[in-house]
Amino acid sequence: MAQRASRLPYGVGHVSTAWIVSAVLLGVVALAGWYGWSREISEGMIVTGLRNIGPMGGATWGFDIAFVVYFVGVSFAGITVAALIRLAKLTALKPIARMAEALTVVALILAAFAIMYDLGQVWRGIVNLFRYARPQSPFFGTFTLVISGYLTASLIYLYLDGRRDAAICARVPGRLQRFHRLWAAGYRDTPAERARHERASFWLAIAIVPLLITAHSTLGFVFGLQIGRPGWYSALQAPAFVLLAGVSGVGMLIVIAAIVRRTIGDHEQLPDEVFRWLANALLLLLLAYLYFMVVEILTNVYTGAERERDVTRELLFGDFAPIYWASVACFVVSLGLLVARFLRTGPSIGLLVTAGVLVNLAAIGKRFLIVVPSQTHGTLLPYGTGSYAPTWVEYIEAIGLLGLGALLLIAFAKLFPIMPVRDGDAA
Amino acid sequence: MTRTVLAIAIAVAGFALQAITYLFLATPIGKPTDESFSNPRVPFAPLLFILGVVLVFVAAVVYELLPDRGRVQEHEPEG
Repeated sequence: MAQRASRLPYGVGHVSTAWIVSAVLLGVVALAGWYGWSREISEGMIVTGLRNIGPMGGATWGFDIAFVVYFVGVSFAGITVAALIRLAKLTALKPIARMAEALTVVALILAAFAIMYDLGQVWRGIVNLFRYARPQSPFFGTFTLVISGYLTASLIYLYLDGRRDAAICARVPGRLQRFHRLWAAGYRDTPAERARHERASFWLAIAIVPLLITAHSTLGFVFGLQIGRPGWYSALQAPAFVLLAGVSGVGMLIVIAAIVRRTIGDHEQLPDEVFRWLANALLLLLLAYLYFMVVEILTNVYTGAERERDVTRELLFGDFAPIYWASVACFVVSLGLLVARFLRTGPSIGLLVTAGVLVNLAAIGKRFLIVVPSQTHGTLLPYGTGSYAPTWVEYIEAIGLLGLGALLLIAFAKLFPIMPVRDGDAA
Repeated sequence: MTRTVLAIAIAVAGFALQAITYLFLATPIGKPTDESFSNPRVPFAPLLFILGVVLVFVAAVVYELLPDRGRVQEHEPEG
């Protein structure tokens, strides 16, 4: 770190035409999402497909909550991978640690937005959560603790982990020098500072792991503890939530790592071994999740109570069957691709990216199926079956969030090295 | 040494704030018997709980960012 560098690594600060076009397009998509939100704020929840359960025959949680669960799930794998790299000394995965941390922070910001989209009275909702929430309730763990505690922890982890690279970047004269100097906060990479960072990161990772397991389990408990809601009430909800979070998050990491590798063209820094690790992790998680899915369906079909069977029948053969079977197909095709890659033992990045995209599509489908059918078809009260169809406002909000997430990630990659900087990379 | 003590103190304070809030300031634990079980005993107790969680993680920032004593002296003006 002694030499003075002349350019920033990994294209930081270098804005190409392609990047500008991408940023503008993603910005327009994000703005479209906020336009949808503005309709919701000005006209009320009537512009969404959400209606009261029971008398109004609808669902009070829909697309937005499905995306809350999805985004929180994606965030799970990011910080888990980052923490495991530190705790288990998985040096092979070190190149993707920064991406994983950034993915977690961005996914949690998107989850916060999705919660606000779901709340009819946004500010009242936010204030009331902090004012009246019960720390004993799973809702508190999910909607308050995750977004504030977990987001803070992830931001701190990202910040401390990036100080060394910020110090390297701060040596390069330019518009970002002040920003990098601020981030580095006097870091000089002395042996004492390195040792201190190792210790702090180790304990930080130890503190983050229980927090994230708690956060994701409580997300499962929000559904799994509702005894009067067939389809939700299950001991499998919490572990299944954690597993599907791992599946979607690792899938997303594969996609991001492949894009970064292609963009910076540095196969040495992001070697095939990284993708092999991620592919094997995704394969194991997917197998475990599919096992959970089969167990759940078998239990409900074989010995489920009457209303439990109704919800399952609706999933398998009713209105929700197209989404259910499309999700299953995405999972199975992904599994096939991962097994094919495993048997070939080659990198096959294209196959992995396809698998990563498919598991994420399937995860969105599964989150929707977890949230909605039990509200429209799982009531124990003597109401008829309900229905729910998202409106254009909900679709545009969700697409806007995906656009915002991609925009935040590409913006981050232009402000800060998306991968840990090797000695000499900034020279 | 000061750095370690300060970081541990902040982390312990964070855990203590969580425990105190959970047990004594938030909505009472147990089977609800009256309306006092509906609201926190202290307004914004959930926010205090979250501050406790945040404090635990802030301890890591303090541990890393607190300047060395020698380095502070290095920057002090002479005389």
